Amino acid sequence: MSQRSERRGIHVDQSELLCKKGCGYYGNAAWQGLCSKCWREEYQRARQRQIQEDWALAEKLQREEEAAYVSSHSSSQTQPPQSHSQQSLATFSKFEEKKTNEKTRKVTTVKKFFSPSSRTAPKKVPPEKESEKQEKEEKLQGRRESHGENLLRDLKGIFTQPWEMASPTEESHEGKAPSPSITRQSSIETDRVSRDFVEFLKTLQKPGREVHKQSRGFIESMGNKKDLSAEELSECVQDFYQGMSDRLLNHFKGSSEKVDRVMDQVEKYIMTRLYKSVFCPETSDDEKKDLATQRRIRALHWVTIQMLCVPVDEEIPEVSDSVVKAITDIIEMDSKRVPRDKLACITSCSKHIFNTIRVTKNEPASADDFLPTLIYIVLKANPPRLQSNIQYITRFCNPSRLMTGEDGYYFTNLCCAVAFIEKLDAQSLNLSPEEFERYMSGQASPRRQDDPAAWPQSGSRVNPALSQIHHNLKLLSNLEKRQQQVTEGAQNLQTELAEWQDSVAREVQEILERYPLEIKPRASAIDAENVENDRLPPPLQPQVFAG
Amino acid sequence: MAAAESLGMAAAGGKTYSFKVVLLGEGCVGKTSLVLRYCENKFNDKHITTLQASFLTKKLNITGKRVNLAIWDTAGQERFHALGPIYYRDSNGAILVYDVTDEDSFQKVKNWVKELRKMLGNEICLCIVGNKIDLEKERHVSVEEAEGYAESVGAKHYHTSAKLNKGIEELFLDLCKRMMETAQAEERSRGNGASHTSTARRGVQIVDDEPQTAMPAGGCCTSG
Repeated sequence: MSQRSERRGIHVDQSELLCKKGCGYYGNAAWQGLCSKCWREEYQRARQRQIQEDWALAEKLQREEEAAYVSSHSSSQTQPPQSHSQQSLATFSKFEEKKTNEKTRKVTTVKKFFSPSSRTAPKKVPPEKESEKQEKEEKLQGRRESHGENLLRDLKGIFTQPWEMASPTEESHEGKAPSPSITRQSSIETDRVSRDFVEFLKTLQKPGREVHKQSRGFIESMGNKKDLSAEELSECVQDFYQGMSDRLLNHFKGSSEKVDRVMDQVEKYIMTRLYKSVFCPETSDDEKKDLATQRRIRALHWVTIQMLCVPVDEEIPEVSDSVVKAITDIIEMDSKRVPRDKLACITSCSKHIFNTIRVTKNEPASADDFLPTLIYIVLKANPPRLQSNIQYITRFCNPSRLMTGEDGYYFTNLCCAVAFIEKLDAQSLNLSPEEFERYMSGQASPRRQDDPAAWPQSGSRVNPALSQIHHNLKLLSNLEKRQQQVTEGAQNLQTELAEWQDSVAREVQEILERYPLEIKPRASAIDAENVENDRLPPPLQPQVFAG
Repeated sequence: MAAAESLGMAAAGGKTYSFKVVLLGEGCVGKTSLVLRYCENKFNDKHITTLQASFLTKKLNITGKRVNLAIWDTAGQERFHALGPIYYRDSNGAILVYDVTDEDSFQKVKNWVKELRKMLGNEICLCIVGNKIDLEKERHVSVEEAEGYAESVGAKHYHTSAKLNKGIEELFLDLCKRMMETAQAEERSRGNGASHTSTARRGVQIVDDEPQTAMPAGGCCTSG
C-alpha cells in the first residue's frame, strides 16, 4: 500500500465519490452522496415542500371549518357575518402561527445549549473553502466555547445522570478548564488504558515521551472540536495518525513493524478517551441508520438458511456451537471502545464462521460460502448499533489496518453483508415478489407453508434454540405422562390398600363371627369341675427339718 | 535497533510494497482453487491446513524488492454482484477468472472489466484468466476471442489450470511486476519518491502543500 500513501491527492475512485448531481464537487455518504451545496438545496426543497403541504392541509381544514360554520349560521343570519367570521378566523390563525413560532424559537434556543452543532450546521460551505474557514471559525469558537462551556456543563449536570458524566474527553479538560460543579468519576477502563500506554511508551524512551506529549495534546485539542461534524472529526484523527506515523518513520527511524505497534497503542489510548464524544455523535444520523437497520433485520426474521444458500448444517453440534460463538462475537463488538478491538471481534466472528463451513463442507471456506454465512449470522444476531459501529471503525481506525490486513477483509465483508441486507429483495432470495411481500408483511411464514408436517424438523434446522425447546417440550410431556401414570398407580395402590384393609377387616369379622369367642370360666372350675384333679397328689407342703 | 533495521532496508534499495488484489468471477470457475494452488500448492486436498481460502497473503521478493500480496476472494454469486465496489475499492490489481468451458462466465468477466474501468480507471492492473485448461476438449471460449478481448481492454490474458498447476505462478508474478511498475510510475509522476509513508489514506484527500511534519496537536486550534 506504500505507493498509494504518497498520493495525498484527489484520487480514489473519483466517480464514486463525486456529487451525484454532477456539479463537480465531492459528495458525502452522510448527505446521500451529494455535495454540501446540492444537499442543502435538496434539503431545503424537501423542507419547502413539507411546509407547503402543511400549509395546504391547514388551509383545507380552515376552509372546511368555515363551511361548517357558515352552514350552521346561514339559516339565522345573512351575508355580512360570513366575511366577519372569515376575518376573525384569519386573525386567529395568524395569532396561532405567531405562538407556534415563538414556541419553536424557544425550543431551538434551549437546544443550542445542548447541541453546539446547531451553530455550525447551517454554515456549510463547499469542502475546498471549508478548511480555511474552519480554522478561523475554530479560533472564534474556541473563545466563545470557553465562556459558554461552564454554563453548558452546569446545564448538562442538571439533566444528565451522574453516571453518564464521566466522559473520557471531559477528563482531558482537567488541565485547563476545571469545573468544580462536576464530580468526576474516572472510568476504570480509561485509567487502565492510560497506565498501559505510559508503561508501553517507557520502553521507547525519548520517542515515547514525544508520542505521549503529542497524544495528550491531541486529545485536549479534540475536546475543543466537539461541534465539528463526524467527518471532520474523522479527518482530525486520521491526520493525527498519519502525522504521527510519518514522524515515527522519518524522524525516529522506526521500522514499519515497530511503528505499527506504536500506532496501535496510540490508537488505543486516543480512542478510549475520545469514544464517548465521537461514537455515534449527535451531528450525524448514525443513530437513525442504526434503528433503520435494526428494524430491517427484525422484519427479515423469516429468512432461512436455505434461502441464503448458506453451506452450514446446524444439526452438527460443533457447527451450532460455532454459530453461537460467532453471534456472541459480533454482538460483543458494540461493547469495545477501540476501533481495533471492534475489528478483532469481527475477525473472531469470521473465524468461527470459517469453522462452521469447514466442519460442514470439509473444505476451506471460499468467499462464496463465507459471505452468505456472515449475512445469516448478522440476521440472526441483529447486532446492536451496527451502523454506528461500522461508521466509527471507518472513521477512526488506523487506516493501515483497515485497508490491507485480514481484519480489513472481514470488515469489508461485514459492510457487504449490511449493504446486502439493506437492499435485499425477492430476487436475492430466489423468491417471487408476491412471496417476499407476504413474508415481509408477516401474512405467511416460509416454514409452515412449505410443509406443515415437517414443521418441527425444519424448525430445528433453522434454530438450535428452537430445537432445544422442542426437545425440552417432548421431555416435559413425557414426564407429564409418566407422572400421570405414577399418580394413577398411586391412586390404584391407595384404593387397593383401602380395599385390602377392608377385606382383611371383613375376613377378620367373618372369622370372628364364625368362631365367636367363648370364654369358659376356668379359674373357678379348676378345682370344682375337674374330676381328674382328685387324682393328683396333694400339694407339697413345706416341711421343717430340724437340725 | 529500529534505526539499524530501517537503514538496512534503505541500503538494500527497497521498500516493501503492499498490494491488494481482488479475485472476481462467477461462482464455480475455480477462484478458490486458483489461490489455494498458488498459496498452499494444493488442489482439492483433504489436508489443506488453512481454515479459509477467502483471504490469503503471500510474501514475494521481486528483483530485490519485497512485496506483500493480499488476495481478496469475492463472492461470485449473481446476487452479490452489486457489492463489488465495496470489495475492489483501493485494490491495485484484479484477477478476473472465467471457466474456459463456460461461455457465460466469460460474459461475466466482460461485465466486470467494464465496471472496473469505469470505477477505477487505468490505475488497476487487470488480468483475465481462463481457468480449467485441463478440460481443453470441452472448451467453449476460443483462445483468439479471449486474448483479443483482453488486449482491447488493456488487460493481460492467462491460461491456467489449478488442477495441473499450470500458469499460476506466472500469472501472479506478472501481475506483481505490473503493479510495481504502476506504483513506480505514479511515484515518479508525483516527483516525491523520497517520502516513505506507509499508511494509506482513505477517501478523498485535498492536496495540501504544507509539510506533513506539522502535527495536528501543535496546530493553531488548541487555543481555548
